[in-house]
Amino acid sequence: MRYVIIGGGIAGTTAAEELRKLDNTAEITLVSEEQHAIYSRVLLPHYIKGIIPRERVFLKKETWYDDQRIEWLRGEIVTTLDVKNKFVRISTGREIEYDKLLIATGSTPRTVLDDPRGVSYLRSLDDADHFLQLLNERDTNWKAGIYGGGFIACEYLNLFAHAGMPIELAIRGDHFWSNVLTEEAGELVNQHLVQQGVILHKQAAFEQVLGEDVLTGFQTSVGTHVCQLLGIGIGIEPDMGFLRDTGINMGRGILANEFLETNVSDVYTAGDVAEYYDVVAMQQLNTGNWLNSMTQGRVAAKNMYGEKTVFELVSSYAANALGLDIVFVGDTSKQHAERVEVMGSLKEKSITQLFIRENRCIGGVMIGRNQDRKEVTDAIRERRLFQSK
Amino acid sequence: MPKIRVRVDEDLCIGAASCVTIAPATFQMNQENKANVLDHGTEPGGPTYERWMEVTEEEYETILLGAQSCPTLAVFIYNEEGTLLFPEM
Repeated sequence: MRYVIIGGGIAGTTAAEELRKLDNTAEITLVSEEQHAIYSRVLLPHYIKGIIPRERVFLKKETWYDDQRIEWLRGEIVTTLDVKNKFVRISTGREIEYDKLLIATGSTPRTVLDDPRGVSYLRSLDDADHFLQLLNERDTNWKAGIYGGGFIACEYLNLFAHAGMPIELAIRGDHFWSNVLTEEAGELVNQHLVQQGVILHKQAAFEQVLGEDVLTGFQTSVGTHVCQLLGIGIGIEPDMGFLRDTGINMGRGILANEFLETNVSDVYTAGDVAEYYDVVAMQQLNTGNWLNSMTQGRVAAKNMYGEKTVFELVSSYAANALGLDIVFVGDTSKQHAERVEVMGSLKEKSITQLFIRENRCIGGVMIGRNQDRKEVTDAIRERRLFQSK
Repeated sequence: MPKIRVRVDEDLCIGAASCVTIAPATFQMNQENKANVLDHGTEPGGPTYERWMEVTEEEYETILLGAQSCPTLAVFIYNEEGTLLFPEM
């Protein structure tokens, strides 16, 4: 059996590992755009802060691929997929035939137009190395800018605060996660950040980065923001451009059923690029999350091998914004919910939102209310309403 | 049954809760949004980030899977002699 996996991130690598466990004689090829062995993106902030040395971000040694007899094509991308003749062509021109194919290409951060020195994204190890280099060059009078109101913006807040830099943050809407938080919960996060000394600009549409070769600031609809370092966190886009004209159905991501099968036979998907049928949320979902990707890699491998396995997981995402714990569990889209119930309040400085559909809890957000996390997760998993103790 | 020591490094733990999802008998989130270590669902001696426990091979595999799933590699497993079993350094 010939398995080809496109994408060397946690979904693709876990799938390769699982396939080797299941099938000792299979040919396994892993095409990875990155030059590095698998590492944890989640550890990059720890590395930048100096909590761990650089070598600790890696999850496997470079020799692991050979040990597992996985053909590791690093620094390569797939340029063409031919689902009729069942082969992929990679950047070197080489064609690789497959019996079963997994697409786990992940996602790419949305970028702003200009890129003078000082603009940062936080997706890859190379991004982290670059950011650390910029931080090490800083003067005591340097200011930090952040544009974006999501999880990456939280990471930048913590990193800049750790570096002792004053922070100016601009967001497009009135608060963080405008598709998730209620006005009150959004205000809770805003007030916390302002109390922590962040200069916050709301309703600020991004216009441009300032500075020719070296960053001097950025311009939004509310004004000019002077900074020498700018962290951008405006979301990610699934990486699936190369699939145009293949007949594979795509929505926000690559569409798949609960077995992570696409509409094209012998083609599977997993990780950030997948828009899979979530059996708990009863909805197609696209979830950019570590455990989700790892578990999907494992489930996809089982299905590719022939062990029919349903993907079922209540995903969660935990962040901390300058000391405020924020946890997302399950499907936290206001759009997907029939109603949102709220416990706690702005006054109490802690809020839990419950997302209800068809008389059951499908998602939850806890801000400063870690105590609700287990009960909310249990309610979602057991497909029932949340009952407060 | 092998005896192991399981430890969560609270400085590395970010509350992703992947260990809790995979091995709920061994890990549980606390109020600080970090994972405490349980012994088969119980907390003799109170909440802690580190404890010894006796496990079957199957239980060990689950705990290992929980540790492997941690995106910050915050879970450490040692054998009775004190040798680090996971993560590989």
